[in-house]
Order: sequence, then C-alpha cells, then structure tokens
Amino acid sequence: MSSVHLAFSSRTRGRAPQEPVGGARPLSSLGEGTRGVVVEVRADAGGRTDRLLSLGVTPGASVVVLQTFPGIVLLCDQTELAVERQVADAILVRPQESQS
Amino acid sequence: MSCHVVHERAAERSRTLTLRAHPLRVALVGQPNVGKSVVFGRLTGRYVTVSNYPGTTVAITKGRALVGAEVCDVIDTPGVNALEGTISEDERITREVVRNGEADVVVQVADARNIRRALMLTSQIAAFGKPMVLALNMIDEAYARGIAIDVDTLAGELGIPIIEMVAVEGRGLPELRDALARAARPHVPAHPTASDRAVWAHHLTDRVRRVSALSLAHVQEALARATRRPVTGLPILAVVLYALYLFVGVFGAQTLVKALEDGLFGRYINPASVWLADRFIPVPFVREFLVGQYGLITMGLTYSIAIVLPVVATFFLVFGFLEDSGYIPRLAIFCDRIFRVMGLNGKAVLPMVLGLGCDTMATMTTRILGTPKERLIAILLLALGIPCSAQLATIMGILGGISFSALATLFAVVLGQMFLVGWLAARVLKGERSEFILELPPIRWPRPGNLLTKTRLRVWWYLGEAVPLFLVGTGLLFALDKAGALVWISAAGRPVVTGLLGLPASTSQILVMGFLRRDYGAAGLFQLAHSGQLTGVQAVVALTVMTLFVPCVANFLMMVRERGLKTGLAILGVITPVAILTGAGLNYVLRALGVQF
Repeated sequence: MSSVHLAFSSRTRGRAPQEPVGGARPLSSLGEGTRGVVVEVRADAGGRTDRLLSLGVTPGASVVVLQTFPGIVLLCDQTELAVERQVADAILVRPQESQS
Repeated sequence: MSCHVVHERAAERSRTLTLRAHPLRVALVGQPNVGKSVVFGRLTGRYVTVSNYPGTTVAITKGRALVGAEVCDVIDTPGVNALEGTISEDERITREVVRNGEADVVVQVADARNIRRALMLTSQIAAFGKPMVLALNMIDEAYARGIAIDVDTLAGELGIPIIEMVAVEGRGLPELRDALARAARPHVPAHPTASDRAVWAHHLTDRVRRVSALSLAHVQEALARATRRPVTGLPILAVVLYALYLFVGVFGAQTLVKALEDGLFGRYINPASVWLADRFIPVPFVREFLVGQYGLITMGLTYSIAIVLPVVATFFLVFGFLEDSGYIPRLAIFCDRIFRVMGLNGKAVLPMVLGLGCDTMATMTTRILGTPKERLIAILLLALGIPCSAQLATIMGILGGISFSALATLFAVVLGQMFLVGWLAARVLKGERSEFILELPPIRWPRPGNLLTKTRLRVWWYLGEAVPLFLVGTGLLFALDKAGALVWISAAGRPVVTGLLGLPASTSQILVMGFLRRDYGAAGLFQLAHSGQLTGVQAVVALTVMTLFVPCVANFLMMVRERGLKTGLAILGVITPVAILTGAGLNYVLRALGVQF
C-alpha cells in the first residue's frame, strides 16, 4: 500500500465541495462501481469527521461506491455504510485508474 | 532506596487485597454488532437480546462467570465506534465503564473482518491503561470472505493475548477464559489525534491481514444487494409486509385467537370457572370479581391470553427473524428522505420498527440517535403513532375482520398524523438533526436457536409485565363498576365520546382503561366489536383514537426516565388532544362521505 497524503480539513460547511485536491472528487459525484482511495474528509460543525473516522472512513482507506439512489451506499474497507448526499459531498476520493 | 522498595511492596499488597475484596471485573467492549452479547451469554449463561443490527444493547448488563476457580463479574456494554470525540449517549455509557474503574480487565470483542476499525478502537481503549484481551469474533465469516489474519504477528505487536472466536458456536470460549489471566496493557504508541490513530491502524492492518478476491458468501451478498436497491428492495419490502400480515394478522389474530377465545376460553375455561364459582363460592361479590362481567378470569385472563397473546407471540417470531437477518437497517436507505422532513434521519427507522414490538423498549433505543432533538421527536412519534405488538394484535383482529380498507384507513390516518406532528415538531423544537450515516450489517441466516430463545423470552416478558396489568385493570374496572363510577365516567365522557367521536357511550370506560395500557383498551373494543356493538366506522374511529394515545403507563414512565417529568407531561399534553381531535375529524369526514366499511 503506497503512503497516502493524509489530511483532515477543519473547514466548516457551506464551502463548495467541487474544488479538486490532487485529482480527488467528492464521493457524491462518483458513479456506481467506482473504486478509489479516500483523500480527505471535510469537517462540519456536527462532528461528521469524528463519526466517519470511527467507522473507518479515513484518508487512505479504500472505498467502492455500491449504490447512488435513493441513498448513497459505500463499502469502505469491510464496512458497508449508507450516507446522505451531504455526507458524501464531504468525502473526497481519488478514483482508481484501472477498473478491475 | 529501601524505603522505595517497601513502598512498592505495600502498593503491591494493597493491590492484591483490592483484587480479593471484589471479584475480577471484566468488561466486554467493542464496535456495535460484533457479538459482545453472544460472548457475554456464553461466559455467564445469561441471555441478553442478540440481534443483527447495531444498537441492540443500549444499557449495561452484568453477570457472573466462572474462570478457572475464580468467579468474575462480566459487564456487557453498548457497542461503541469511538470513546472520544463526538459520541452518542449509549457510547458515553460504555466510556464511563472503561474510565471509572468499574472494570479491571477489558476484553475487546472485534469483528475479525474489520480489524482496521477494531484497532482504531484498541488504541482508544489502551489510553485508559487497563489490561486487555482482544477477541477476534466471527473468524469463520472472515474466512468465508477471503480474509486471513496473522494472529501471531498481531499479538506480538500489541503484546496482548488474541483469541480467534466463533462465539455463536462457543468456539474460542475456553481459550478466552484462559487468556483473562494473561491480560496485559497493550503496546500502543500514544496517538495525540484521531488521524494518527487511523494511520497506525491502517499500517498495522496492512501487515497482518491478507484479503483475497475469493468470497464464498455469494448468496448473502446477492441478497444484501437486492434488499437495498429500489428496483428489488421495494418489492421485497412489500412481500415482507404481506408475509407479516398473513402470519400475524390472519394466522395469529384470526385463526389462533378464534381457537383460544371461542374454543379454549369460550367453551372450557370460562364455563368451567363459572360452574366452579357458582358451586363453591357463596359470596356473590367474590364470584362476580372472578367470573362476572368485569371478572378476573372472564375478562382479564380472556383478554390477555386469548386475544393478545397469540398475536404477540406470532409477531415476536417474525420480528426476531427480521432482526437477526440484518434486514431492518436496510430500510433506513428508503426512509431517510421522509424522516428528514420530520427532523430525523434514516437511522430513526430502528427505534420506529422496534416500537412495533414494544414502545417502551424502543423509547430506550432512541439513545442511538445523534442529537437530543432527534431523540425527543422519535420518543414523541413512538408514543403517538407506533402501535406496539399487543395493540397491533387487536387492530388486526378487529379491522382485519371488517375489511382491508378499514385497516388501510387507520394506518393512513395514523401515519399522516405522525408525519404532521413530526413536521411541526421539527420546526418548533430547538436543535439540529444529525447527518445520516448508518452501518449496514451483513445479511445472515437467522439461527433458529437464538430466534426461539428470543421469542420465548419476549413472550415471557409479555406474560410477566402485561398480564398483571391486565388483571389490575380488570380489578379497577370491577371496583369502579361497584362504586357506581363507571356510569359517571360514561356520563362525563358522553359529550366527547358520543358527541365528537360518534361512539357508543360504553366505549368511554374502554378509552379510560386505554390509558393504563392501549392494548387493554383495544382488547375491550375487540369484544365490543365481536358482539356486534360497533359499526365499521365506529371501530375505525375508536381504534384510531386509541392508537394515537400514549401506549401505556410503562411507556410514560420510560419517557420520564429518559427525558424528565416535564417533557413526559408535555408529550402527554400534545398527544391527548391530537388523538381526540383526529378521531373527531375522522368521524366527521367518514360520516359526511357516507363511508361504510
């Protein structure tokens, strides 16, 4: 496993999640079946980062988007998580080049 | 120097003494849904409800276990994803156990598949300085999914005993007992921040875990996928609800109730008791108390055993099956948007569905919700609209016998009111809703053993808690009747009951008894409907009012315990007028439209 850039932003919500961080995109913009590596989890006022972190959604963790409607479902490492769009906006993922 | 040694010895002696002063206290700590309660049950022989979703245990349970020749106190704790940062109320309970010296040894129970998350928690538990053992549970499921863990390397790295377990089968339990004596403080570097901890866990996991693409759990994975996708998930939900209706509403509430009420009680028990009472009890007062119109046997026992028990038992069986399969949390994906309008998020589906079993227990389960505002709204909606199993019993028993549209009307009105009240509460109450983040448990085949134990214990619980209250209620009715108060209550309730709601005057007393337990009141309606004293419209109106009332005294006391007396009374103050006004409105509309069910 290559070493990954680890960053936790302390930005509060309201900031647009579109700006890419080194090719990373918000998880909410990825299609079903996309694999990737979490690069950053953007914080909000309500302790979102803490909760995602404790569920294993940390920078460096591998994720697969399993479903995008009606809610977003992702597999992070071995944990299947259902999240709302606002949360998925805050998870920045670098999609993997090869779809294997 | 010598002084120092003496001091140390003294400290050691006092430590030995304190250890002898009370049994070794072992706390089971771990992520939600990793099997702590199963391990607890295996160690202590005490059964704690085991289900396949996070948040089944929301309070601590204590038990005794024999380890070698020593007796240990074992503490089962609510599942925790974290012990610091933003944590929910049930997680706080566990943190207090680990922090406050309530435990001498911590056994961390972990899902072997998910060692990375487990290690993040290990690092947090380690910060409390307690000796630890790590139990890797569900090691069989990990193998089935192609996950292999190098336990020796991991144990060497952490410096604590690590046990591989399949707790439901009892595998690894003897090893765990042995390991308790070897519990040690783990070698975990101090991690100042959560992200440091994540990096450490990530790298350690890379070293000890191998994941191959091969998975043997194809069927479960396909089912898991089907239940969460709308195209397949919604038809599956419809099938589940229909099966629930067939088993509980038709088989339980009609076939079984008929057999018990008309058969067992109608033909044997009640005539026999009346015959015995007539022969052996000379005092008419006592005779009436036992077998009269408001008799303990002819009313209390008949209600609780013949009318409510069959439905409660069939419901608990289906419900246990759904719980153990891991299906219920998947519903949250579909409900999230609807719940958001009511100031909640999809996670609230757990307490709501649990409320169909028992609103009192579900009120406690609201601890898994993120914010105080969400908890309050969920408690309010539980009390307002969710019928508990016993009440569902009588609803299905009465309306199922009238028509499907009667049943549909009731549920539409009740759901509509919940939605409206939830929507208003979300706007009136201060505070925030939390974001929807929910872990989905894997789909599993329920184990028949656990299913039967759980159903049996819940039926016993019903018999122990509800039946006495039914008897007390009957006794109260009898006393009121003898004192002439029933006539007075009926007269006092007449403007509301016959005027506003359009019901027969005799329903007043039933509605009053409904305050004691909603299902008791509903059982009274059941008999009234059975003997043809209620029209279809009246039955629907009466049951709607009863469903919207606060479920029972126990539920009210639980609300007070969880949120305080003021809030409890406020909820009561909101719900009672809503229930009566809704009933009045429904009565008016149904009559104006000339509906006949």
